[in-house]
Amino acid sequence: MEIIANYGNVLIILAIIFGTFMAWGIGANDVANAMGTSVGSGAVTIKQAIIIAVIFEFAGAILAGGEVTATIRKGILDAALFTNEPHLLVYGMLASLLAAGMWLLIASSFGWPVSTTHSIVGAIVGFGAVGVGVDAVAWSKVFKIVISWVASPILAGVISFILFRSLQNLIIDTKHPFDNAKKYVPYYMFLVGFIVSLVTIFKGLKHVGVSFDTFTSYSLSIGVGLLVAIIGTFLIRNIHLDPDENKDFYYASMERVFGVLMIITAAAMAFAHGSNDVANAIGPLAAIYSVVESGGLIGAKSTLPIWILLVGGAGIVIGLITYGHKVIATIGTGITQLTPSRGFAATLAAAATVVIASGTGIPVSTTQVLVGAVLGVGIARGMAALDTRVINKIFLSWIVTLPAGAFMSILFFFALKGVFGA
Amino acid sequence: MANKGNITSLFGKSPISPLQQHMKKVHSCIKEFGVFAKAANAEDWEKAQVAQISIAQKEHKADKLKKKLRMNLPSTFMMPFSRRDLLDVLLIQDSIANITKDLAGLMMTRHMVFPKEFAEDFINLTGLCIKTSAAALVAINELDELLETAFSSRERKIVDQMIKKINELEHDTDIAQSKIREKLFALESNLAPVDVMFYYRAIEWLGETADAAQKVGSRFEVMLTK
Repeated sequence: MEIIANYGNVLIILAIIFGTFMAWGIGANDVANAMGTSVGSGAVTIKQAIIIAVIFEFAGAILAGGEVTATIRKGILDAALFTNEPHLLVYGMLASLLAAGMWLLIASSFGWPVSTTHSIVGAIVGFGAVGVGVDAVAWSKVFKIVISWVASPILAGVISFILFRSLQNLIIDTKHPFDNAKKYVPYYMFLVGFIVSLVTIFKGLKHVGVSFDTFTSYSLSIGVGLLVAIIGTFLIRNIHLDPDENKDFYYASMERVFGVLMIITAAAMAFAHGSNDVANAIGPLAAIYSVVESGGLIGAKSTLPIWILLVGGAGIVIGLITYGHKVIATIGTGITQLTPSRGFAATLAAAATVVIASGTGIPVSTTQVLVGAVLGVGIARGMAALDTRVINKIFLSWIVTLPAGAFMSILFFFALKGVFGA
Repeated sequence: MANKGNITSLFGKSPISPLQQHMKKVHSCIKEFGVFAKAANAEDWEKAQVAQISIAQKEHKADKLKKKLRMNLPSTFMMPFSRRDLLDVLLIQDSIANITKDLAGLMMTRHMVFPKEFAEDFINLTGLCIKTSAAALVAINELDELLETAFSSRERKIVDQMIKKINELEHDTDIAQSKIREKLFALESNLAPVDVMFYYRAIEWLGETADAAQKVGSRFEVMLTK
């Protein structure tokens, strides 16, 4: 208790610095993967992608980021065990932030596949199990999270497979693909708006202090869906069939219709990413703040202050503006074989999966979910060449990142203990 | 913090456009043979030489394209068709250029001039073979559309028609070939035996280009059914 009383402000300031650094890293690096399929499909320019990302990452973080933040903050560790030594939780969360941030820096500089989510979860489990005791970790919750890392890319793949097949049957493989695209695309737009707003309203908004009953929630979601569909219909109204461009490639005009849909889907993806990944940066910060603010009380019934979500959202945006735009450009130009129809099927499937995970409070890896979604389109024979070596890389990142994050956080944990006193 | 990210490494280089470019190069090879055959028939050996060199260069370029495509096709690729079938199509495409090059080389070194009784027929057969190869190129060029529709039945029917067209043209070349052989057989006793031997070989090789074009079509069909 003494330590917290004496060093409380220093610890919070440190946490804000580390948390912002993590959020910056997410904005600088992770966002690019989330936006990659949109930019790569050629439907969204790099400039548009950055504007979309800035707005919707931020919105996702604030409006729907609460549930995953709660998991990182108090779901992975059994808070009751810290009642007598609350400062250990503060050290640990600081150490976890540092470890995950450092590991991201190291892994990125070597070009290793790395997931922010995996490093932070690994780090928290690491300091909890070794620094405090094996019982400190809520293993059942950790197990659930780990299962979801396998399940989420598969789920995204199944959804994208079904989505793509529906596009194939309703639009692409018909006599008049362009007309059918204009006819059916608004329905898909509705779907995008509906799914994202439903999960947000049910699970996200309560962290901002807003809640609705079931009927209002559904009505609102349908309203948002309709609004998105109407805006979309308005946008595709001006797209006309151009026989000239279809001479070389019969589906060129149709793909332009999907291009508009892709912009909306990119926004959904940015929103989903913001809602899931901001927690990696601010979950530990929220945990530290709640302990220090309550003067060392663990599990005090404090709600998540909005300013913490703001710190996360702002960090991501700064990361995007200072560095992320370059990575978006690199990744966008690196992906050439995606057409808007594919980009849409894969991105919407990934966004839906991530948003659902966010609503359930499960931190997943957005990049890996996207990989699963693209592979789903590939299984439907929609992609020219996907390199399955990526699957090995994903396995490797599970195996390497968790211990690496854990090891470093243990190191930092004991270092902090040495500096501030046990 | 230059992270390449998992997402980019997921996307391999599409083999579709390289396969089409290869077929295009192969076709330009046999098209050039049309120029060569006419020059040779007119005994304009200077012009023939230029065409023959051009054929050899084009064959060489096709070979390079073939090797490049093969190198960029790791077995870890997940494609909408089997890798084996794709490589088979590529090899058969390449054989059209190889045969054409050998044929032009043979005719050039021997300064081969066909007896006027069937010289015109040989030019016609050349034209038919070029058409057959062109038909195969059309089918291969449909691969983008096939991919876009994820190999749907509608688009497959269009390609089936294209393949049918190749088969018809190949059949025409068979008929043209046997006609030339009949004429040659009637003349055999009046010609130098070695010349006759090589006339038969030239006709056979030319016919083989159409056979190869047909095989491109049928292999392509197998490739699509996966």
